[in-house]
Parts: sequence; structure tokens; C-alpha cells
Amino acid sequence: MAAGDSMLNLLQGYLEVTTNRQQTIAANMANVDTPGYHTKDINFQAAMQAAMEKSGGSGEGPQLEPASLDVEGLPERPDGNNVNIDRESLLLSQTQLQYQVGVQLVKSEFHTLLTAIKEE
Amino acid sequence: MGSLFGMMSISASALSAERQRAEVTSANLANAETTHTDEGGPYVRKEVVFSESNASPFQTVFNRVGHLGQPSGAVQLSEVVDDTTPPVMRYEPGNPDANKDGYVAYPAINPVTEMVDLMGATRAYQLNASAVNAAKQMIQESIDILKSS
Repeated sequence: MAAGDSMLNLLQGYLEVTTNRQQTIAANMANVDTPGYHTKDINFQAAMQAAMEKSGGSGEGPQLEPASLDVEGLPERPDGNNVNIDRESLLLSQTQLQYQVGVQLVKSEFHTLLTAIKEE
Repeated sequence: MGSLFGMMSISASALSAERQRAEVTSANLANAETTHTDEGGPYVRKEVVFSESNASPFQTVFNRVGHLGQPSGAVQLSEVVDDTTPPVMRYEPGNPDANKDGYVAYPAINPVTEMVDLMGATRAYQLNASAVNAAKQMIQESIDILKSS
């Protein structure tokens, strides 16, 4: 069951990355009126890479997650805040759908396992 | 370690901050014509100051590694400050609060400014309520993995 196992580990990593991103977006939305706040985001590719390496079993223990970065190129308001509500709303829905994909894949993995276990 | 419950508490901090902002704005609107207070003089317009909690990068990483405290990114109402605009003087000699020249000090409150502020608070509240909803749905979906298909 090595193949199914690594698939589940990979999906776990994927769900963790999407959850982290969703939390970052929620933080941006929460600080929509905070003077001087800058929009943050996580590097999805780097985070996914780290999650894949972790699922490869290359080492346990506490791992530093990729730090969230300030997003470049967003116009700043006079109070020094550059949160764009439309960008965050869009990313919120997008990340929610990505998470849903991950959950459905986990479900189908377990469904496959169950089919193998059940006698016809 | 980010989690969906952490996301919910971030959004909840914003809901509470925006609600307090709406409260302060309502108090300003209600006291737009208040010329007499316990401290003496007219009502002074209040304004809220928002700040990000756990804003320092060290604190953020420390909390994340140790799974400690409130997740970074939450917002808090750090203080309520008085508006320093001088009061508006109106000539009303019959008013008991009038000074010796017959002028009454009214708070410098523009209802239009307050209404716009109130609308901003309402919209931000709605935005964060939808983020709470998204987190709720995602948690519900992961619970549904347990359901046997």
C-alpha cells in the first residue's frame, strides 16, 4: 500500500498548505482597516515543495514553514494600508475550492481502499 | 501551523473590532448635539485606532513554532482617542450652557462623516463574516470525510 500511503501524505500536505493560505487571506481581510498594514501571502509553490519533501519522509521534527511575504504591486492608500478587498474575496473563494478538491481526493482514496477491502 | 480554527479566531477578532468601531461611531452620532457632560464642556468626538496583534516577525515565528497564543494576523482595537478639533460655537443666549457672550460650545461632529464611517464598519463586518462562513464550510467538508460513502 506504499502508493496509496504516499498519495494520502501528499494530500495532507496539500490541505495544510491551502489551510495556511486561507488563514493568511483571513488575516488580510481582518486588517482591512489597520493603518500601515501590508497584504501578505504565502509562496504556494515553495510551501507545496516543502510539504512534498516532508511526505517523502526526509525528516521529522519541527519545520519552519515558508514565511509569509508582503505582496508587491498593490496601490497603497493614504494610511499606508494596501489591502484590496476584491483580491482577497477572490482568493478566499479560490482557496476554498482548492481545499474542496483536496478533500474530495482524500475521500476517493479511502473509497478505493474500501472497494479493495470489500468482497464482491 | 495554520488551522481553520485559527482562521476563524482571526476573523472573529476583526468582527469584534469592527463592532466596537460601529459602537463608537453610534455614540458620536447620538451625542452630536450634547453640550453638557460630567467632565464639563461639550461631548468630545471619539475615534478608534486599529492595530495588528503579534505584529513583530519574531513573535509570529515563535508562536507558530511553539503553537502558542493567538495566531498572527489578528486585529485589535488598541485605543480610543479623542478628536482634538475645537468645538463649534453657536450664538444661543437663552441656552443654560451659554458662556458670558451668549455662545454655546457644540461638539465638532459631522453626521455625514459618521454615517460613512458606520457604512465602512458594516461592510468590513460583512466581509469578515463571509470569511468565517468559508472556514465553517471547510471544517464541515473535512468532517464529511468521516462519513462512509
